[in-house]
Amino acid sequence: MQYSDEKEVAPRAEAVEEHGRYLYCVAASGEKISLGKIGIESKEVYTIPHRDICAVIHDCPAEPYQSDNQEVVKAWVIAHQKVVDTAWERWGTVLPLSFDTIIKGETEGSAQRNVQDWLEQEYERLKSKIENLRGKAEYGVQVFWDPKVIAENLTRTSSEIRKLDEEIRLKPRGLAYMYRQRLENLIKREMETKADECFKDFYSRIRKHADDIRVEKTKKAEQGLQMIMNLSCLVYKDKYTELGEELDKINRLEGFSVRFTGPWPPYSFIEGA
Amino acid sequence: MEPTRNSHATLVDLLDRILDKGLVINADLIISVAGIPLIGVNLRAALAGMETMLKYGVMKDWDERTRAWESEHRKKVEITAISGEEIILEMFGSYYYSQGIYTAWRMGRIYLTGKRLILYHPSFEEMLFETPLEKIKGMALERENYFTGKERENLCLLLESGDVVRLHALDTLKLKEALEQRMSTLGLGWEEVPGLAAHDERTAIFLSQGEEVICSGKMWYLMSPRGIMAESWKPGHLYLSNKRLCWWYDFEGKVGFEIPLDRIVGSSVGTRDLGTALKGAKVLDVVYLNQGGKEVASFSGEGLSEWERALNGIASGKELAPAFEIETCPQCGQEAPANELLEMGCRYCGWVSPRLKRQLRQSALDRATR
Repeated sequence: MQYSDEKEVAPRAEAVEEHGRYLYCVAASGEKISLGKIGIESKEVYTIPHRDICAVIHDCPAEPYQSDNQEVVKAWVIAHQKVVDTAWERWGTVLPLSFDTIIKGETEGSAQRNVQDWLEQEYERLKSKIENLRGKAEYGVQVFWDPKVIAENLTRTSSEIRKLDEEIRLKPRGLAYMYRQRLENLIKREMETKADECFKDFYSRIRKHADDIRVEKTKKAEQGLQMIMNLSCLVYKDKYTELGEELDKINRLEGFSVRFTGPWPPYSFIEGA
Repeated sequence: MEPTRNSHATLVDLLDRILDKGLVINADLIISVAGIPLIGVNLRAALAGMETMLKYGVMKDWDERTRAWESEHRKKVEITAISGEEIILEMFGSYYYSQGIYTAWRMGRIYLTGKRLILYHPSFEEMLFETPLEKIKGMALERENYFTGKERENLCLLLESGDVVRLHALDTLKLKEALEQRMSTLGLGWEEVPGLAAHDERTAIFLSQGEEVICSGKMWYLMSPRGIMAESWKPGHLYLSNKRLCWWYDFEGKVGFEIPLDRIVGSSVGTRDLGTALKGAKVLDVVYLNQGGKEVASFSGEGLSEWERALNGIASGKELAPAFEIETCPQCGQEAPANELLEMGCRYCGWVSPRLKRQLRQSALDRATR
């Protein structure tokens, strides 16, 4: 097994080349600093500054992070978020990037230059986004209702539904079936109207406490609940308690519940800020 | 109402943001695969599963959780499991999880307490691995070519149960030192067992019934171009079994190349330039038959001439070469075949592996009770 040290290093040198720069966020600081080995796969995270902003990055091969393994992906995504959080805590304002944004580079140093050039060219745009987002954070607000409870309440309060409901009791069986179909359709329509009303009402109440709002798609919910609104709210960091109080009021309504998540870095408000 | 973003409950919310949103960069500057956003390539598949899991598993107790949120988020997240135990060392780390076909380095925080060694995942509040210190019977440092291209150190632990656990920490050496110090303080005995590092769990995954590994070793493989990736050397392990020659791709954790033994035509070691930096490296070319023609697979690593001899032996229809994995005795440093060392002990100085010791003790006990 004659195999000299030099030769043993051979293929490894090829794989070590880290010509890409994994980009976590742009932060409001001109500091040139290492944040330590806090990155994805414990990579060392550091900044590339330009004037009073910097890119927060780690060196990586110019290949995307890809895996079918849930555990691995979970750990990556959480590591990404931890880095953005660290930068956010340190410098107050960040423009986060989505997972797996890697600046290309063909040779050693060219990705580094690409990052620098990009910061330089985009400086005005990035700087104005930072200014617009200064002191603000993103919060997720999801409002759910329990359709059973809502339908019951509607049956009690809507005169039209109540009338139909009473008529059914007086009808012979066959007719009662038809009437019940009509009743179900009526309840469905009334619930749609009710959802619309609630959306408008809640939206205007939440809007007062938010600097900006993005309406997101509603998603499927579990436990028989329905999501009737899904918002991302941009809120001044010191103002979220007021929003929380407003959400409390909604949460206390019978049949309604609210999920309040955050503070998130302002992911949903970067474009357009 | 206070906002929350703790642990499992908000992972989906995080994913919604981190995967689709954020600062947009000129596409010319960033890596993409055939113009498809990266995340679409295959992370989605893994994440779809995750979302379902969260919905059906974690979200099941959704209503209860909603009500518990407010009180919950105020509680400082602390590991109740180790409350009351002195934490001697805490650092980021991971351990190699392998069960059936599922393998992964699972990451978390390593805690060395007065009594236990623990790997804990703070975000998921999950205990990934734990062992009482007195169950640790052997240790070894292993150097591994991690897929990032860097060589890194792993700490292999032999547990009383006979299981071997591989851990990696931010500072593996420091972890080992602290562990040894604590175990000495407690008066616990353990042994350095370099053979542990050779212990290979990968084979358990891909070997079929009746298949046995004859020899194995770390080996680089010249992978043909795939998608946007050019031809390149990839780190892995080459295995010769009584049925096939196959190469395990460390990066993807699966078999990346394999051929049945009867298709091997021959092999030769030559000298070649690998990339621009390295001239005249040794490369093992294995010629084999593939759908109508001869093809060549190239490997680079240690002990190429041994591999060449073994493969040519197979090609010429001779008996399979005997196992030649050589290990040094942890006590006297004499070289001997690894299996001989582990199964019979060292014939020079009489060193015996902990596992063998246990077996001997057990059989002595059996005899005594009989």
